Amino acid sequence: MLFQLSEQIVNGLVTGSVYAIVAVGMTMIFGVLRAINFAHGEYYMLGTFGAWVAIEYFDLPYPLSVAIGVIATALIAMVVGQLVMRRMVGMPAEAGVLATLGLALILQNTVILVFGGGYKFFNGGYIEPVTVFGISLAEQRLLIIVICALVFVGLELMVTHSRIGKAMRAVSQNIECCAVVGIEVRKVVVATFVLGAALAALSGVLTAPVNVSVYGGMGELITFKTLPIIIMGGLGNVRGTFFAAMILGIAESLVATYVGLQFRDTVGFATLMLVLMWRPHGLFSAQARY
Amino acid sequence: MANSLRRQFVLALAAATPFMAGFGSTGPVLAQDGAIRLGIVAPMSGPNARYGAFSLRGAQLAAKEINDAGGIDGRKIQVFSADSQGTPVEGVSATRRLISQDKVDFLIGDVSSSVTLAMQPVVEDAGILLINAASSNPKITYAAGVGGFKWSFRNYPTDENRALVVAQYAAEKRGFTKFAVLSVDSDYGRSAIEFTKKYLPRFKGQILTEDYYKEGEVDFRSVLAKIRDSGAQAIIMYGLADTTPIVARQMIEVGLAGKIPLIGNGEFNTEKTIKSAPKAMEGAVEAAAWLPAYDSDKSKAFVAKFTTEYREAPNNHAYVHWETVRLLGKAVEAAKSIDRAKVRDALKSIKYDSAVGEVTFDDHNQAKLPMILLQIEDGKPAIKGAFYADIDYPR
Repeated sequence: MLFQLSEQIVNGLVTGSVYAIVAVGMTMIFGVLRAINFAHGEYYMLGTFGAWVAIEYFDLPYPLSVAIGVIATALIAMVVGQLVMRRMVGMPAEAGVLATLGLALILQNTVILVFGGGYKFFNGGYIEPVTVFGISLAEQRLLIIVICALVFVGLELMVTHSRIGKAMRAVSQNIECCAVVGIEVRKVVVATFVLGAALAALSGVLTAPVNVSVYGGMGELITFKTLPIIIMGGLGNVRGTFFAAMILGIAESLVATYVGLQFRDTVGFATLMLVLMWRPHGLFSAQARY
Repeated sequence: MANSLRRQFVLALAAATPFMAGFGSTGPVLAQDGAIRLGIVAPMSGPNARYGAFSLRGAQLAAKEINDAGGIDGRKIQVFSADSQGTPVEGVSATRRLISQDKVDFLIGDVSSSVTLAMQPVVEDAGILLINAASSNPKITYAAGVGGFKWSFRNYPTDENRALVVAQYAAEKRGFTKFAVLSVDSDYGRSAIEFTKKYLPRFKGQILTEDYYKEGEVDFRSVLAKIRDSGAQAIIMYGLADTTPIVARQMIEVGLAGKIPLIGNGEFNTEKTIKSAPKAMEGAVEAAAWLPAYDSDKSKAFVAKFTTEYREAPNNHAYVHWETVRLLGKAVEAAKSIDRAKVRDALKSIKYDSAVGEVTFDDHNQAKLPMILLQIEDGKPAIKGAFYADIDYPR
């Protein structure tokens, strides 16, 4: 009983790590743009496809395919950032919603057009099971947890110590003041956007070996799972996102075990409704930031 | 903040709705005089897209064969395709599009039972002949023929037959009595389990855990760990082909592979699935309407032809759609007309020589067809026999 519970918590931590890496990018983009990026899951999908192409067409080893998936997505995000996202600064919320939803459709359907709508088989990664404290899980899942921890430590250091990180925080606090003191707001916005998209891609590439299937529509579910997390964590709040992702991951895992697998997806959406009703500014902050 | 967030949500929903609509209809084509206008409703995108691609290719191959041989009494078959995305809403609008824009007289579709059930009233209203080729929910023909819908036919065996065959084999040949259920959350997955429950007591079997997964689900670790600890001897799975490799891989992860086999249906027998996790698939038992290894001259000729045409071996859906287009051709030939009512009457009394035996329809417009049972042995499907079962229609 206790063993089962701890096994499910570990499962939840793995799921939570995947969510956390995707969601942190989305929450940072919200921070600088004040717009929810509805195309965020598509970058997760693009990263996975990039790695899949590298493995399937060029026979490259998995670690290299991870780099290719992330870099390819970052390049696409750079183009999108220059053409679309930088124009969103100071625009009303509607513009951001329409632009990102439109982007989601374009990215998704381009991939379906090029590679077909069927599921592809992702052949890579470290799927051999290992046993840790009696719990058997694929090596890849341990890798996901480790990389998630590294990503968050890295982000924390970046936003507190590096120049661009400080600029990101500044822009997320007050765009006008940033412009006044000479911070190039649009550049910061594009940089944040590319970073967020690359993180989503990283999450996709890391999960692909254990999720096996790769297909054009795979990002949609991720976008909608990420929404409750960033709202629970407090929009723009990096640390809050981490804990919110872990909470959702563990809650989903417990519901799947003790209530039934068919109720798993309801956890996120139910949480979203409750949080919007009672704590629209998130679980971890007493007041709204924006 | 809360306000602008809510606004974003409403906008997102409003903006997303029209985009969820399908794409994929082949567009208007100029009508040839007296052509047999056939619509194929199939999932061309979404989680069942693989099924849809196979279905359409099978149907197109049959149409090409018939047309190359001069058509039926000189009439060519013209195939129109529409994407159901595997959802009832999209399936119904795809059906309407085919009927009103492409002016089809005959329809074959869908793969998903949920979609077919939703299509039935639409074709009934329009008076278009629907021959389903790949949905297995028994309700489809419970409600057809003397059951109500006059324009719905099915050339595919049902879950009732399948559930009985699988339960019997698992109990009698493998000696299983304790089962876990892990099926897809759809009319197909749920009804197969419903009928399994109807027959399990006959074999003293019991279900210990019961879970249904959503299409597109990728994380089965929690539920597989629960099944492992439950003491079940086999997992009854009526699932989707694309999900089977994911489940199989995660079975290896949680230490279920080689201990508890999968039984049911979900393309357990394809090379791709077995290759994804050979250890987990060994000993799996599947009941299928057809499989490429089926031993008959016609079936083998089809496999060879499909493989040369598309450079890929056909699956079950390719076969059933290929066969159903040919069946429709025979019915048109027998009716000596493309008048829908005449073709329907011809279909009712047809004796069609298919690759798995003679096909006739009962008074519920249901074809009498066998289920083929197979087991994965040494990484290859071994056929254990073909079983017919009479359907016990509710009165």
